[in-house]
Amino acid sequence: MDDRKKILISLFIVLMIFPICMNASAGVLSDDAQMCLGCHSDKNSTKQLENKEVLSLFIHGDEFANSVHNPINCGGCHTDISMENHPQVKKIKNKKEYTANSSKTCSMCHTDDLLKQKPIHSQLMAKATCVECHGSHYIKSMSEWKKSLDSTQYCLICHKHGISMTLSSGELLSLSINESSLKSSVHGKLVCTACHMDFSKTNHPVRKFKNIKEYTVNAAKVCAMCHTDEQLRKNPVHGSLISKATCVECHGSHSIKAVKAEKATAKENQYCLSCHKSKLSMTMKNGEPLSIYVDEAVLTKSAHSSLPCTNCHTGFSKTAHPVRTFQSRRDYSLFSLSNVCKKCHTNAYTQYEGSIHFSLLNSGNPKAPACADCHGGAHSVGGVKQNKSLGLTSCNKCHGDMNSSYEASIHGKAWTKGNQQAPICSSCHNAHNVESTKMTTKIKEGCLRCHKNTEKIHNKWLSNPPITLSSFAGAHFDVVSCAACHSPGAVRAIYLSLYDRKTGKPLPQEEVLEMFETDSTGFMGKIDMNGDGSIDAKESWNIFKRLYKKGVTTTFMVKMDVRKAAEAHQIGAKTEAIKVCEKCHRPDAEFFKDVFIVMKKVDGKPTILNAKKEVLNSVFSILPVSKFYALGSTNIKLFDILFIIALIGGIAVPIGHITLRIITSPLRSLRKMGKGGKK
Amino acid sequence: MKKIYLHPLPIRIWHWVNAAGFIILILTGAQIRFGNVIHLFSFETAVDIHSWTGFILIANYCIWLFYYLFTGNIKIYIPPLHHPVEFAKKAIRQAKFYGLGIMVGDENPHHSTFDHKFNPMQQVSYLMIMAALIPVQIITGLFLWDPKLFGPAVNLIGGIQIADMIHVLLFIFFSAFIIVHFYLATLGHTPLAHIIAMFTGYEEEHEEHEEQGHSEEHVHSH
Repeated sequence: MDDRKKILISLFIVLMIFPICMNASAGVLSDDAQMCLGCHSDKNSTKQLENKEVLSLFIHGDEFANSVHNPINCGGCHTDISMENHPQVKKIKNKKEYTANSSKTCSMCHTDDLLKQKPIHSQLMAKATCVECHGSHYIKSMSEWKKSLDSTQYCLICHKHGISMTLSSGELLSLSINESSLKSSVHGKLVCTACHMDFSKTNHPVRKFKNIKEYTVNAAKVCAMCHTDEQLRKNPVHGSLISKATCVECHGSHSIKAVKAEKATAKENQYCLSCHKSKLSMTMKNGEPLSIYVDEAVLTKSAHSSLPCTNCHTGFSKTAHPVRTFQSRRDYSLFSLSNVCKKCHTNAYTQYEGSIHFSLLNSGNPKAPACADCHGGAHSVGGVKQNKSLGLTSCNKCHGDMNSSYEASIHGKAWTKGNQQAPICSSCHNAHNVESTKMTTKIKEGCLRCHKNTEKIHNKWLSNPPITLSSFAGAHFDVVSCAACHSPGAVRAIYLSLYDRKTGKPLPQEEVLEMFETDSTGFMGKIDMNGDGSIDAKESWNIFKRLYKKGVTTTFMVKMDVRKAAEAHQIGAKTEAIKVCEKCHRPDAEFFKDVFIVMKKVDGKPTILNAKKEVLNSVFSILPVSKFYALGSTNIKLFDILFIIALIGGIAVPIGHITLRIITSPLRSLRKMGKGGKK
Repeated sequence: MKKIYLHPLPIRIWHWVNAAGFIILILTGAQIRFGNVIHLFSFETAVDIHSWTGFILIANYCIWLFYYLFTGNIKIYIPPLHHPVEFAKKAIRQAKFYGLGIMVGDENPHHSTFDHKFNPMQQVSYLMIMAALIPVQIITGLFLWDPKLFGPAVNLIGGIQIADMIHVLLFIFFSAFIIVHFYLATLGHTPLAHIIAMFTGYEEEHEEHEEQGHSEEHVHSH
């Protein structure tokens, strides 16, 4: 084809199309379009979708005529519709599916490659369909479209969708704006560009942030343009917060309400959380940081979720926020213990007051556990019923050295297998009234909680004819710890504790030291007269005598227990338990070789002094250890000597008498003869 | 040779049960206490036998007590405290007999009859034993049998150690006593006279005694 022919054909096409374009751009509908509008101009024309949504089929003719798509006619997009097959039954699930399908038509002209050239537009394509932002039938040219919208509306066209951007840290920053909440906010009347100053209808820079914190810090700088630091620092709490958190973290950004309005409408917890949901912290006097951040999600799941914040944080409210200072985190923890937890958990607190933990706390031991040390923060505290393992895990923080022996025990194995009935630390030691086990057989109460009818079971082999009563097993339980028999392979020992005979209570070490006019370091020196590092019978008698002279009648209460605490947790199976009387009831019983004297300090911590077995079986023991006697093994030695003397004496009397009778038999014969002669 | 009825049947039964019981209690008691030296029984067996025997002897003690209380013959145990000097003289005379008289061939100053079975020394000893020592031994034995059951009473006397101390001291006493008692039982007019009497109930009165007894009666009749 020569050039002249080409020019002629082109001219013909232009001449043919130009009138059509001119017609369309002037808002004149084509015949085809008018034909379609014959039906679709009816405002009541609708279609019910499968999900019962109603899709309007109405098309405003004039509006369409003025749109940029008027020239391509209805069939340009609705390619599957022709007059031959329309109307047809077409199943559409929902509007979302409809818009998604409709938007596919757009890509026939507006190819993906073309649209993705703009990075921001590219990101949006994955979030929203063309129709959702640009509409369908009344699309204007971009310049005309931008001109017709105010800047906020223009921004919201995209930002009303669930769009977000991924920051360098991997955090997801939501870019979605709730239009209605924005409108109702105190900033509702501001245009977006009042804060987002570098953005406009024509300029949308691509910005990058390391993380949300960096973004909020930057965003908060904009706030300062209106809300000056000076103005904000007038409130001391607010002043201290400024350095800890950004405006956005507490107040949010696009749905900010007037403070007064927020106070009036917000629920109390929500009001508190408006600041405390941010990772705030306060600094103690000693420089330690204390987190005052409350994880809302954790709080919601906690046992305290239904409580208003002010229940615990008395003095605080929507209108009052006192500034408090504490020496240290520990100080704060103790403050909470006695001022907060106690208010509701009175029973637990009363039990705790009698515990060794409380004694340690009172003595100033910095490791003594307060409520939060076991239960965790008040905002995350779980219900103990839901989290039974608390009685194991929290103990392990300090008593972790016991865990391996517990895990090896029959109890630990059952717990590991998932038996929720298996005992853990708190099952035996109690949760709140934990006592030193060296001074008490109370620990057995823990065992007996699960092991019912123990007396009856033990009496199957503890023989005491003619009738073995439960009190007989009880007499053993009073003295022998469960572990002493049920912890296979453990080393057993005898522990003597000084008790006040009148009150029946243990005599605190401090009182004993006072009566001995010494301190804990000098005590042994005062008692251990022979300096062998072990208390013998005479020395234990001296303790008794000294205290008696000071007006306190004491008695040694005796307990058999395992030597090492770890062994107490290593409870074996029933078959491994000791069931042989002679293990204890023999003069040379191994279990009675190691003897100790225990004194309990006020803080509950026991002091253990070495002693000799003779403190149990000497004549000097009769009065000080008058409340203990183990048949066959703590025999008073002097009585054994007396027994032998008595036997010898008993035998000597007849032998002596018979001997004398034999010697004197001639005398009797003579006398008899004399009598006989007389006769 | 005259036979005097001294020991009624219930007392004979009580006596021999008591005798056997005492021996068993002493042996098992020694086994319990000296388990490292004596190996007659295991500790468990010794405790079982000791406890059973203890309860049998409690019942046996009741036979003795009820018999003497119901018959009113308990008076044979009661020294004549209204004649203390005379009683003391008789006691000294009896002691002299065992210490000297028996050697030189003196007659036993005491002649047992059904109503005057015991000589003054026996009277004091058996009264002490039957009215005090055995009840105390029974009570302390019960305390040791089940210390928790009798807890308040045990505390009242100072503690289980005290109960044991009393029980053991009495055990020592009874162990020595039973040897001497057995020896004294052989000091009848024949070595077996008293022992046989404790089986049959009848003690054979020696001829000399008979004569002396008659002459005394005669003197009294004047």
